[in-house]
Amino acid sequence: MVDDLQLARSVSEAVLAIGGVHSLGTGRYAEAATYGAGEKVSGVVVNPREVRVHIVVSYPLVEPIPALAERIRQQVASRTEGRPTTVVVEDLVEVEQGENL
Amino acid sequence: MRIFNRIVIILLLAGLFVLGVLAVLYSVGVAGYRLAELPLDTFSQNLIRAVRNIETGNLHVLDVGGLVIIALLGLVLLVFELKPPAPRRVRMQQGTYITRRAVENEAIEAVEQSPEVLQSSVNVKAQRKPGAKVNVKASIRPGEDVGSTRSRVQDRVQRRLSQVGVPISNLKVRLVESDPRETRTRVR
Repeated sequence: MVDDLQLARSVSEAVLAIGGVHSLGTGRYAEAATYGAGEKVSGVVVNPREVRVHIVVSYPLVEPIPALAERIRQQVASRTEGRPTTVVVEDLVEVEQGENL
Repeated sequence: MRIFNRIVIILLLAGLFVLGVLAVLYSVGVAGYRLAELPLDTFSQNLIRAVRNIETGNLHVLDVGGLVIIALLGLVLLVFELKPPAPRRVRMQQGTYITRRAVENEAIEAVEQSPEVLQSSVNVKAQRKPGAKVNVKASIRPGEDVGSTRSRVQDRVQRRLSQVGVPISNLKVRLVESDPRETRTRVR
């Protein structure tokens, strides 16, 4: 069993590799992050009930957001140890054509 | 409503605190405050008379009105307190959310693509079911065709949000005629 920080790091890497995800969000009212000893992973919140991923999506969209969220869920499913994944879209950022690929 | 309830409770507790301090002052008898000087007799007599009137059904119209208002106020506060708060984020589908701010930004961008719109503001309310209520307020020049501009703006917002994948349960567009000298954009 991996610890929360390791899990968050692995989820973060997997999500950032998906086309259409510009970056990870940091939360609005409270920081969205997983904390460990002297370290934190921003944009992924791991708790015993779920794994929550905060993302900033690139615009123009590669695909509708629900489809992108589904792809994220599939991509991280093997890393979340059976916990459901919630995807929170924090913002959409316009990117140059080609930068999105 | 939670903020209103909080304010009511804060005022209530502040009142109780003041009453507590006064009670201590009067009972100890410091700074010229004496328990014997309090008009408690008159107060208790009036209270007893009012309760007796309620018991016998011999009430003045104003008393009945006052009691009804108190009961209604209590009922309204109870309903608002029991009502679950609106969610912070807009649900797109099971396990997928988008922040209200992101929806607002998208809607503003769609609205301001219309050349007739000088400036706009958007308010998004998340709902418990998937989707959001979107209220758009846009400023246009005096003399513009309000009907066709409204439907164009509505169409643009709907198209942009459905492209993003945000379900809209209710979209309201309010157009306000404004002097271009007072808006963010004068010419498009």
